[in-house]
Amino acid sequence: MKRRTFLQLSGMTAAGALLAGCQSKNEKLIPFLITPDEGVTPGLATWYVSACRFCPAGCGILVRVSEGRAKKVEGNPLHPVNRGKLCARGQAILQELYHPDRVAQPLKRTGARGSGEFQRISWTEGLALLTGQLTALQQKKATDRLAMVTPQLRGTLAELTTDFMAAFGSPYHLSFDLLAPDWLRRANRLNFGKASLPFYDLAETRYLLSFGADFVEHHLSPVQYGNAFGRMRQGRDTVRGHFTYCGGRMSLTAASADRWLPARPGSEGAVALGMARLMLAEGLFDKEALAPSGMRPEQLLKRLATYDLPRVAELSGLSEGQIAEVAREFASTRPALAMAGEAVAFQTNGPEAVRAVQMLNLLAGNLNRPGGIYPDAGSPDGPENSFGELISLVERMKAGRIGVALVHGDPVHDVPQAIGFQKAMASVPFVVSFSSLMDDTAQQADLILPDHAALESWGDMIPLAGTREGVIGLMQPVVTPLFDTRQFADVLLALAHELGGAVAAALPRQNSLEMVKAALQKRLGAGTGDFEARWVELLQHGGLFKTTANRGKGQATGYRQIPGESLPEPAPPGFAGDKQLFPLHLQVYPSLALYDGRGAPLPWLQQLPDPMTSVVWDSWIEINPQTAATLGISHGDLVEVASPQGALRLPAVIYPAIRPDLVAIPLGQGHRAMGRYAAGRGINPLSLLAANIEGKVPQPAWNATRVRLTRISASGELVTAGSFQGSFRSELIEM
Amino acid sequence: MEKTWLVAVLVVIIIGIVAGCLTLVYILPLDLRERSPLQPIDFSHKQHAGTNAIPCLFCHRSVTRSPLAGIPAVSECRACHQFIDPDAPEIKKLMGYWDRREPIPWVRVHALPNFVYFPHMMHIRAKLACSTCHGEVASMERVTRTASLKMGWCLECHRQHKASIDCWACHI
Repeated sequence: MKRRTFLQLSGMTAAGALLAGCQSKNEKLIPFLITPDEGVTPGLATWYVSACRFCPAGCGILVRVSEGRAKKVEGNPLHPVNRGKLCARGQAILQELYHPDRVAQPLKRTGARGSGEFQRISWTEGLALLTGQLTALQQKKATDRLAMVTPQLRGTLAELTTDFMAAFGSPYHLSFDLLAPDWLRRANRLNFGKASLPFYDLAETRYLLSFGADFVEHHLSPVQYGNAFGRMRQGRDTVRGHFTYCGGRMSLTAASADRWLPARPGSEGAVALGMARLMLAEGLFDKEALAPSGMRPEQLLKRLATYDLPRVAELSGLSEGQIAEVAREFASTRPALAMAGEAVAFQTNGPEAVRAVQMLNLLAGNLNRPGGIYPDAGSPDGPENSFGELISLVERMKAGRIGVALVHGDPVHDVPQAIGFQKAMASVPFVVSFSSLMDDTAQQADLILPDHAALESWGDMIPLAGTREGVIGLMQPVVTPLFDTRQFADVLLALAHELGGAVAAALPRQNSLEMVKAALQKRLGAGTGDFEARWVELLQHGGLFKTTANRGKGQATGYRQIPGESLPEPAPPGFAGDKQLFPLHLQVYPSLALYDGRGAPLPWLQQLPDPMTSVVWDSWIEINPQTAATLGISHGDLVEVASPQGALRLPAVIYPAIRPDLVAIPLGQGHRAMGRYAAGRGINPLSLLAANIEGKVPQPAWNATRVRLTRISASGELVTAGSFQGSFRSELIEM
Repeated sequence: MEKTWLVAVLVVIIIGIVAGCLTLVYILPLDLRERSPLQPIDFSHKQHAGTNAIPCLFCHRSVTRSPLAGIPAVSECRACHQFIDPDAPEIKKLMGYWDRREPIPWVRVHALPNFVYFPHMMHIRAKLACSTCHGEVASMERVTRTASLKMGWCLECHRQHKASIDCWACHI
């Protein structure tokens, strides 16, 4: 080829490529195949009201639906819990609906357990398979070999599961959530005579003292409390509420505080009692409030004598001045409110420490007063010791006394390995999962009967600890189900129908819609006129927002102080692991985005930068700069975390806002399965936790394990969405 | 030495030419989209809207209520053509789509970039005729774009009719 021809040719090719690049193709205009329903207008959105079931808070949502597809989720302005606001997790439930790895129809295991080999089957076949197993149990007169594991449900779904298990004849229904507020119910029963959860009137208080309660992130009802916190700070013309946070790690909530008291892990209860003693000694308590309980201040003071300032200061690692100052501020401001949270409760002395914090509320005369604490009239009483039930179920499973397990949720990921649930489940001959995604539990199941996504379901949602009034939120399907899935409640009802006999008689309803409607009709009572018209109205508003009908017995009267025979006495905290071998305390905390792990499959939440560290798509461990320096660890290094229970490797984040003797790992990652976005990402810190702490009975002490750190390499592959803002030094941190 | 200079000048010139070309591509009112693209089915607007005088709104029925005019579902085309001229080759194509349960992949002729909000219903309510923007569709065998659909063209009409020319009117 001549040089000239070559140049001509290459010039023409380049020009052609350039032109082709500019030539934009006309897009396609795809019509419907079949004319859609009356309500669908192309280009016009319809907003449906529903409720969020991602976390127990149960916020009301509005969903924008265009051409029959859900497009956007917002908060429902009429809902008393979230008042039109919504958190990132609630916004992300869209991605649950459209997740590419949803289980599209029932699956039957074909390969070995956990191999992930499944065969697609029809619903008829799937239900027949399960009915066969259950009938076999009935014939063997071994109905107590059926176990059911669900999260802590409320409303009609709770009634349905309870009725189903009772009618079938098995007492082994476990309602377990890793972060369930059982501890708070127990503390409230012992202190105030009622096991109901509290509603903290944050918006009206003037002094807030939080002991490890991260209420803007995940504690009880985060959207409600985040909003109330804003009103406490800025909602009143003359008062800006003061906020002090006590806890070893600075969470996002703690970062919003005026003062941070980084108390030693497990010493928060002692700090609270130290403050209580000071209030009593200086006569700064509410005398009128204390009188009806029959507690005499002199007596109380005597019994709290051991919690004098020097001892409390020594236990907590705080200065005497700090504690006394906060105690006096708390005591002399009215109203003042104390909250206890997960960081405190999941210690070995957690239950007593929470009671100690609630005692501050008692001394401040806070019960049933504006700016104080009310019983949450909405949610009925829940379990106080579901962890104990978990332990006994695990024992039963291990002993081979459970034949069929119905599992809703993902306990294989959410239960610490040391409890042994995973191994115990392997010895159950027939495991059924109802997961809509192929999660770690579904992976180990013999049969998967996939549930609808939240936006495809009917249901009622009773918010947890978010209001003073009783509220019933309604969930309605906003789109036609995308796949051949069925709602969990409908499957149970169909199962009862197939089983016949007493079980069918106990569960006469046809489907979940009928169930929810019947429940609401009952709560509205007779004489409300045309129920169908009222029902449509309720669906349009998102639920029944002012009702006293679902209060438990005696709940209407509010909290009262019960005579102080049993004062809280937080024992010295116990920790698993030898202090010399494992010098650091480990705190696991729910990730802002992923919660306990249920957010991990949703890419929006994975790519949401953690507000304190800005890490995305991964796990990390937070280490104080001092500790890191002594161990030779720098930001982004790969470190090994070893506990008596095991070892894991993950990248380090140098985090100035944590005690030097404490390290923290967020929960939520480390799934083996659960779709392409979650599988194999990060680590699950729950596998580090020990169950038997200092030889005592197992207890839910997720923050009572000691660990050791070793630097492995410089390549932690930490991905952050930015760098730290501001300075590492702060005059707030006195350590 | 001279050679180095020569190479440097050459490089500068080449960079200049490339930059100039890119700028030209950006500035010039190039209209590279096909004005009258081939459609999967030779649907004739002349036949439907012209000869048979079917009103636009018979098929594009959401135009008064929605930002989108809407195009009929395949089932609606089929509803008539089951009886009208079912043996014509193009109707057979249509029935083929229906039998395969596939929507017809029409090619969009009037497209706006996605940073422009164009609500059909507001323009219809303002009593603008469809042909103002779409041309005499009733006489077209295959739909051809007659307007440029550029911002200047929009503004001209907005000014003429004293409609809003605020940025936020269209760029929301």
